[in-house]
Amino acid sequence: MNNIDINNISYEYHRGRQIFNNFSLQLKNGETTFLTGCNGCGKTTPTKLIMGIIKPTSGEIKIFGKRADSLSLGSMGEIIGYVFQYPERQLFSSSVMDELTFPLIFKGYNKIETFEKAKDLLKIFDLEKVKNSYPSLLSYGEKRRLAIASVLMVVPKYLILDEPTASLDNHRIDALSDVLIELKNRKIGMLIISHNKTFIEKHKDRVIKLEGGQIYE
Amino acid sequence: MNDIDPRTKLIQVLILSTLALIYNKLSLLSLILLAAIVIALLNRINLLSILIRLKRLVKMIILIALIQSLLTKTGNPIFRIGNFTLLTDYGLIKSLEFILRLGIIIVSAAIITTSSSREIIQGLIQWHCPYEIAFMVSVAIRFLPIFKEEMTDMITAIQLRGIDLHKVKFNKKIQVYKYILTPITINSVIKAKELAAAMEMRGFRAYPQRTSYMVLKMQAFDYIIIGLSIAAAFLFFTFQ
Repeated sequence: MNNIDINNISYEYHRGRQIFNNFSLQLKNGETTFLTGCNGCGKTTPTKLIMGIIKPTSGEIKIFGKRADSLSLGSMGEIIGYVFQYPERQLFSSSVMDELTFPLIFKGYNKIETFEKAKDLLKIFDLEKVKNSYPSLLSYGEKRRLAIASVLMVVPKYLILDEPTASLDNHRIDALSDVLIELKNRKIGMLIISHNKTFIEKHKDRVIKLEGGQIYE
Repeated sequence: MNDIDPRTKLIQVLILSTLALIYNKLSLLSLILLAAIVIALLNRINLLSILIRLKRLVKMIILIALIQSLLTKTGNPIFRIGNFTLLTDYGLIKSLEFILRLGIIIVSAAIITTSSSREIIQGLIQWHCPYEIAFMVSVAIRFLPIFKEEMTDMITAIQLRGIDLHKVKFNKKIQVYKYILTPITINSVIKAKELAAAMEMRGFRAYPQRTSYMVLKMQAFDYIIIGLSIAAAFLFFTFQ
């Protein structure tokens, strides 16, 4: 069964620059798919289309059998974990700890369990020392780690990571790799945009290259 | 008319908004709004698309006007429930004045947007407005969409963490907006500091005299429009 079905979608930006014309892509259960391609070729666009942040001009996207346009951003966020290309754009809290815990506590999750989970993730991503800092004041690598950790506060059904290794040192890439292996063991499918060849080689089930609005396996 | 000098548009907008603030008669405000609409249409502005884009603001203006009319107790009652006066003619007129006045300001702002922010700033500089002030205005104009984008990103990010803002209650929604206010303020301060540092490094105000690549030149057509606008405003002022 496919987690995500993108069928014949077209998309163009406001200025009439067409990025995709009849673009199709199927992402399967438990499979780690890497999306590669040159800078500016539109790798981030399909991820935004999947998440419903932008809407296709035509075609259909199905998420676990449901039409994506019938799901709100909130419902989508409960199914798919999404790490933005620019992590600072997805950090909205006044402290690192809040960033991890606020959505769950807001939704009424158990506070003690939420904080325990947050502490675990702070340890995994080496963010314990900065847990009370403002996310905006963190280094780029720390922001990236925090963005990934915040998405993993709830185990999603699918995970999309846009350049997760950018600005991370080798030690932190290894820590991220361990988390991804654990998620893969739980049969969680992933779509990862990356240019890091070693990282791709380590985790790939499938590699697709985007060029001129079409994919090549 | 899109080729007219931004200073000509600034003068027109200045006249329209000044008249909107001076007068408070419904008939006069309607005339000023009509004049603003005619100028906007001559500038090939699609007012309908602007109205659609500003539908939230329009709704808010109507809501404020409605509250104002309901809370005004002076004047003759139009609608009563028992002994309680719900609407008076004075309250209705005041709320309509409010709508017309804001309508004039919105249409005037739309006229200004037919020139780029760079052209408007150059116009201000050539009017001998201090460069520092003109630059501040330019930065503010340029940064508004960035702040809007940042706010949108944060709201999107919150929703993508599983908070459905369409489903949560109003007071909870307020809680979310209050929550992101501090990070937005901090991000703005950080951006302002970084911009100031970048400007210093590129020698901002290093020399007292600045030259400019863009130089605006008023055409005869501009002078005719300015003359006609001032004459119309004078006639309006005299014969109202």
